[in-house]
Amino acid sequence: MNPEWIASHTDDILAALIQHVQLLGLSLLFGLLIAFPLALLAIRWPRLYAPSLAITGVMFSIPSLALFILLMPLTGLSMATSLIGLTLYTLLILFRNIVEGLRGVSPVVCEAARALGYSRVRRLLQVELPIALPVIMAGIRIAAVTVIGLITVTALIGQGGLGQLFITGFTLSFTTPLVVGFVLSVLLAVAVDLALVGLLWWLTPWQRGRTS
Amino acid sequence: MTTAAARQRTQHAAQDSHAIVFDTVSKRYPDGTVAVEALDLTLPAGELTVLVGPSGCGKTTTLRMINRLETLSSGCIRIGDRDVMESDATQLRRHIGYVMQHSGLFPHQTIADNIATVPRLLKWPKSRITARVEELVELVGLDAGLIRRYPHQLSGGQQQRVGLARALAADPPILLMDEPFAAVDPIVRTHLQDELLRLQARMGKTIVLVTHDIDEAMKLGDRIAIFNQNGRIAQFDTPTRLLAAPADEFVVDFIGADRELRRLALQQLDPEEIDPGVHVAGSATVGDARTRLQQAGSSGVVVLDEAHRPLGWLDWERLRQADGLSRIEQLELTPWRHRLHERTNLRSALNALISAPGDVMPVVDDDGRYLGVISQVQLTRRLS
Repeated sequence: MNPEWIASHTDDILAALIQHVQLLGLSLLFGLLIAFPLALLAIRWPRLYAPSLAITGVMFSIPSLALFILLMPLTGLSMATSLIGLTLYTLLILFRNIVEGLRGVSPVVCEAARALGYSRVRRLLQVELPIALPVIMAGIRIAAVTVIGLITVTALIGQGGLGQLFITGFTLSFTTPLVVGFVLSVLLAVAVDLALVGLLWWLTPWQRGRTS
Repeated sequence: MTTAAARQRTQHAAQDSHAIVFDTVSKRYPDGTVAVEALDLTLPAGELTVLVGPSGCGKTTTLRMINRLETLSSGCIRIGDRDVMESDATQLRRHIGYVMQHSGLFPHQTIADNIATVPRLLKWPKSRITARVEELVELVGLDAGLIRRYPHQLSGGQQQRVGLARALAADPPILLMDEPFAAVDPIVRTHLQDELLRLQARMGKTIVLVTHDIDEAMKLGDRIAIFNQNGRIAQFDTPTRLLAAPADEFVVDFIGADRELRRLALQQLDPEEIDPGVHVAGSATVGDARTRLQQAGSSGVVVLDEAHRPLGWLDWERLRQADGLSRIEQLELTPWRHRLHERTNLRSALNALISAPGDVMPVVDDDGRYLGVISQVQLTRRLS
C-alpha cells in the first residue's frame, strides 16, 4: 500500500467512482425502462413470458467480456458499448421480478380496485405497483450488485469506473490501485444495497413491523 | 305533516330513478357456458333485494353485470332510465358501492385511505374527504383509533366493516354486495347482518346482495330472487310470500324442511293473542292468590313486583301447600329464563315456550312491564 499514491490520485479515484455510479444508475434506469413494458406485455399475453425469459436469460449467460467485444464493432470504445452491455445484464432479473411482483398482487385486491372505479392505468400505478414493490425492489438490489461487479470489466473497453484502477494496477504491477479499486467497489455495493433497502422501507410503510 | 309527506314523495321520486331493471339479459361465456339466460327482473329502488341460489346458478354474474364487472352478452340493464352499457364503466362504478366477500382492502393503504378511495377518485377536496371518513367510521361502528392502521392489523369482522364504509364513502344510491358476510365467523356475521339492517333502515339505498345462505336471504331481503341451476329465476318474491306460496319443488327444497319455522320467524305476536292471564302482586297474600286462581281456573299465577314486572311463576300445588296468611314474595317462585317482548317473532316465542314453566310465558313492553301471557296451546294453534 502506498498512501502517497492515493493522496496524489484522489481526483482520478473520485472520477472513477463517479463514473462507476453513473454507469450503475444509467444501466438500472434503462434496464427498468425496457423490462417494465416487457413485463406488462408478458402479463397481458402470458405466451410471451417464456420466450422473454429465454431471451433475457441467454443475454445474462453470455460471458461479459465476450458481450462487450461483440458490441465493439457497432458502438466502438464508447460509454454506449458499456451501457448497452450492462443494461442487457439487468434485464433477466428485473423482468422476472417485475412479472412475479405484479402477478403476486392478490386478484381480490385488483378486483376491488376495478369495482371501485380505478381505470387500468391508475390501478397499475396506484395499486398493483406499490404492492409489488418489495419483490421488484429485491430484483433491483440483485441487479445493482451484479452490475457493480460487471462495470469493472468494461474497463477493458476504456470505460469501467473503478475498473480502471485495476488496469492501472496490473499494468504497473502496483498493488495500491488494485486494493483501492477493490475496497471502493465492495463499499459501493454495500452502500447501494443499504440505500435500496432504506428506500424500500421508506416507500412501504405498511410493511413495517410485519414479519415476512 | 304536509312538508314531511312532500319530502317523502320527493325521496321516492329520487329513489325510483335507481331501480335496476334487467331486460332479457343473457350471459354466455366463449366456451359455451351459459351463466344467465334471458333474465327479466326489476329490483325496486330503496329496497334490499337478495339474489340466492346454489353455486354456479348465475347470481354473482347477475350482480357483477350491474356495474359492468361482467359484460352482458345480450339484453339490457337499466338503472333508472340509463342503460349501463352506455355509461363509462369507470364512472359508473364510482357511483355504485361494491362490497366483496374478502374485504378486498388495499393492503398498502391505511384504513382512512381505504375508506377515502372513491371520494379521492372523484377528486373531492381534502377537508371534505377527512370529514366523510370520520362520519363513516362512526356509521359502521369502527373504533376511530383504527383509521391510521393497515388492513392486516384488523380482524376479519373489522375489515368487513371497513369494506362497507369504503363502499358507502361517496354515498352511492346503489350498493352491490357479493357474499359480504360469508368469510366471517357466525357470531360476527349475525352482528354485521343486524348492522346492515340498521343502516339500511336509515339509508334506504337500493341494495343487491348475493348469498348462498337462505337464512341470510330471509333475514335481510325485502325481496328474494331464488335462482335455479339453469341461470333462471325460480321465484322472485318477498320472504313471506316465498314461504307461504313457493312456486315449485325447487323453491320448496331450497328453502328447506323447516319452512314452517322460518315462516314463524317472519311473524310477530299478535297483540290480540296476548292473554291478560292471572297475576298477583308479590305483596299479596297466599289466600288472595288462591281465590284468584280458583276464579280463573288456571294452573298457576304470574307474580309481579311493585313496578309491574314479572318475577316468576307460582303453580297451584305450591300455593295449596303454603300458609294462607303468608305473603307471595316469601314463597319460592319459578323464574323464567326469558321474557318475551311484545314485538318478538313467533319462532323465538315458540323456542322460549318449550322450556317455560306452566306452558305460558309473560309478554312485556319496552320497560319490562307485564302485558299478559302467551300459551303454548295458542301458538301451536297458529302453527297448524
